[in-house]
Order: sequence, then structure tokens, then C-alpha cells
Amino acid sequence: MNLTIVVLAALDGISYAALVFLVSVGLSLIFGVMRIVNVAHGSLYAYGAYAAATIGIAVAPISPWLTYPGLLLAAIGVGTILGGLLERFLLRLVYGRDEALQLLITFAVFMILDNLQRVIWGVQPIFAAAPLQLLPNISVLGVGYTSYQTLLLPGVAALTLIGLRYFLRHTLGGAVILAVTEDREAATAIGINPNRVFLRTFILGAILAALGGALASPTTSLLPGIGTEMIVLSFAVAATAGLGQIEGAAIAALMIGLARAFAIYTYPEFEVLVPYAIMVLVLLIRPQGLFGATRLRRI
Amino acid sequence: MTKVVLSARGLVIRFGGVVAADGVDLDVQAGEHLAIIGPNGAGKTTFLNIATGYLKPQAGSVEFLGQDITAHSPRAITRLGIARAFQIPQLFLEHTVIESLLIAAASRNGRLATLRSLEDLPEREEMMQLLELVGARDAAEHKAVVLPEGRRKLVDIAMALALKPKLVLMDEPTSGVASAEKFAIMDVLVAALNAQAVTSVFVEHDMDVVQRYADRVAVWSSGKIQTVGTPREVLADPAVISQVIGI
Repeated sequence: MNLTIVVLAALDGISYAALVFLVSVGLSLIFGVMRIVNVAHGSLYAYGAYAAATIGIAVAPISPWLTYPGLLLAAIGVGTILGGLLERFLLRLVYGRDEALQLLITFAVFMILDNLQRVIWGVQPIFAAAPLQLLPNISVLGVGYTSYQTLLLPGVAALTLIGLRYFLRHTLGGAVILAVTEDREAATAIGINPNRVFLRTFILGAILAALGGALASPTTSLLPGIGTEMIVLSFAVAATAGLGQIEGAAIAALMIGLARAFAIYTYPEFEVLVPYAIMVLVLLIRPQGLFGATRLRRI
Repeated sequence: MTKVVLSARGLVIRFGGVVAADGVDLDVQAGEHLAIIGPNGAGKTTFLNIATGYLKPQAGSVEFLGQDITAHSPRAITRLGIARAFQIPQLFLEHTVIESLLIAAASRNGRLATLRSLEDLPEREEMMQLLELVGARDAAEHKAVVLPEGRRKLVDIAMALALKPKLVLMDEPTSGVASAEKFAIMDVLVAALNAQAVTSVFVEHDMDVVQRYADRVAVWSSGKIQTVGTPREVLADPAVISQVIGI
């Protein structure tokens, strides 16, 4: 394996890990607070991607730079509207119920949204690469690569990690989310409305998934099924890290992203297998995940 | 005539075959500390649950400062000014004491979704003073999980006081605390309530605590208030002694 391939695989892995991290950290946050495994999280990723592409195609003729605020608008819009509706009218009904029921219901929502997506955007590939093309290519150890993928995506992921940590540990809004997670009764006793806190947390997690989709949209053709691939991979990352672990999700995303990328360049037939092999190996040794622990604070 | 803060009329509540309240009338007067005593399982805690909206009585009503709160939700009642301290302190164990108090203060002011740093919330100084009042200022930066039970009780009271209540309902404020510590905790607790001019009702099993800190005592037995009076009168009553104290 020569240096060029190593560099390419590393860059592929890092940029993909950034996207997987955004999606899986949203999944983990929602699980950590509401204790629900949301399969429909993958739909939020897919809708974020399609919405960003739709906005991008509409605004690019005016000025391609408008596609950047378009990415953000798509993430916030999809996360708030679709995420808000999902939580308020469906998931709220199944908190605390049997996990099998929760999985079935969120899986059903995922299937419905997947079909609706085909109705809205069709099955032909959609390509909206303006944000990617706007930024220059850079050379990393002699290998040319887009700065969108080598700098912007990991940058957004790192900022998300730092911002989320700061939000949860140091701001009032974050402290309230953790307080409700720790002791719902005590929170209610001091006048906090847990339902409202759950709604806000879910929307935050949904925006992260949609942001992952929006940021991924310039790097790939959008096709039916993109949500499936991402939800499965982000589950692998969240489980490897330990559900609810935010910093752990970043490290697990990097591990899995890099391993997958190196597999593509060396043994492409193992591309699909590698993430799950890592997950299985980790879970065999540490069933609670790399960073999961049976302790009070779960996020 | 003293002002009535909380007034229960004709409360009835049954759980299956057990009648916890069977026509309970009780008035709590402004500024007093009223103890409720009675045999285990008599319904004393049920009364606190009704007054804070966690249980709905099958008959009867509860008024708080002249307003019927029988059908109110726990949160609505908290907002009106009734706070509660539990038998087992309900604290956010993984938060520091000052963080928990700041959350309570923010909840009182209805500003929970802000991105403001916990370090520079306007309520911080007020909450530090509250901790001073319950003698726990030095525990401000400690996580509640590391505090001994006695201190948790005091922090729990500070949490209740952070809501600026008019009335605090306490379920066995000294349970789980060594007897040597009980008076020390009650001294601080009652002084803090008095300093904030907060009325209180507390369920209590320790007659020494009742004798020393209650202004009035209500005896709850067989679903009724058997008698209400000063600790001196009530605790000397032979019927009370046999029913409640069990001598």
C-alpha cells in the first residue's frame, strides 16, 4: 500500500467520520435523554440531504454562495418541523414502553418516510455539488482533495462536539436537560415541564441528523436508501461508543470511518462488513460500549 | 384572626379497601409550622400528595390562599407557591449543589431554555445566600451525590426555598438522619423558613422534634383528623399517646 492510498483512505475516512458523527451523536443524545432508540433518525438525515439539495438547486443560479445558508436552513427546518412533529405526535406516546414496540413504531415511521421521500423527490439521482465546488481543492502530502471534505466537514463535526459539550455542561439549558434525565420526578417537583424539555432535546438531535444529511448532499448523488445506510452505520457507531456517549461517538466514528475507508482501498469486498466487525468485537469485550458505563449520568 | 394559607375541606380518598382520608378538614395558618403525626399508613403523606396535586381526592377540596387548587397539576401548584421536600431528598445527584439551585431558580422565573452560562446567571448571588441560610454554602460546588444525608436534607430545603414558596410541605424532614443530628438540622431548617416568612406543614414521627419545633400538631388517624392543638396539649392527650405514640 503506497502513501497516496494511505492519505486518500485517511482523508476519505475522516470526512465520512465527520458525517457519521453528526448523525450518531444526535441518535445518542436522544437515547441518553428519552431512552428511545429512534430508527426514524435515518429519515431525518435523508430529508436533510434532499431538502439541502432542493434549496441548493433553487438558489445556486442567484449566487452559488447562497447554497451555504441553504444547508443550514435545510438542517434547521427539517429537524425542527419533521423532528418536532415526530416527537410531539408519536414518540411521546411510546416513552417508557417496551423497546420492541418502540423499535417497531420508529421503524414503521422510517419506512413511511422513505416511501414519502420517493414520492416527493423521485428515484432519479439528484446532484447538487455547488458548496463542494465553491471551495478550492487542497494538496495533502501530494494528494489533491476538496477542502470541503478535508477541512469543512471535520471542522463542523469538531465544533459540534465542543458546542454540545459546552451546552450540556455549562449552560442552563443543558443543565436542565441533564436534570430531567437524572430525575424526572425531582424536576417536576420544582416546576419543570419534562415534555417541553424532551421536545427541545429531540429537535436538537433531529437537527444534528438533518445537518449530517445537508452537509453530505454536495458530496454524493442522492438516491433512495441513503437514510438506511446512514442509520445502520450510526447505530454501529453509537453502540460501539456506548449509547449516550458524546465524546465516545466522535472516537468511534473516527475508528469506524477510517477502518471502512481503508477497507475500500484494500479489500473492498469487506467495506460493508468492517464497521460491524468492529462493533461486534467491541461489544463482545465491553457490552456497554467503549465509553459506556453503568453510572448515573448517561449523556 | 390569623390568615388561613391552606384549607382542606371534606377530603376523601380510598385506595382499594384502604381509606386514607375520610372527611378530612384541616386549616394551615400563615406563618405557623404545623406537624402532622399519626400511625404509619394513616394517610399523612397522602395529604401532602393531594395538596401538591399528585393525587386527586374522590371528594372534598383544597384551597390555597382562597383559590381552589384541587384540580390543579403539580406544576401549576408549584407555580402558585407550594413547594415540597421529600422524605428522600430529590436532588440532581450528578449536578453540583449550586447548579441544582440555579435550575430551580430558573424554573421559578420560567427561563429554562437559555444558552446562558451557569456561571453568570443573575440568580447566582441569591442562591449562594440561600445556601448560606441553610448553612451549606461550602457545599455549593460539590455534587449532591457526595453529600451526607443530613446535608442533602438541608440542600433539599434550599431547593424548595429557591422557588420562593409561600408554603413548604415536608415529608419527614429528619428521617434517615442520626438522632444526634436531628435537632441541628431542624434548628437550621426552621430558622431558614422563618427568615423567609414561609409557612410549613411537616409529617413527623419523632415526638421530640414535634414538641420542639411545631407550633401546632394535627393527629391523623383512621382517615380523620382526631385532634389539632399545641404540642403541649396534644402530646399529653392519653388517646393520642395510645393511638399514635403507642405507649
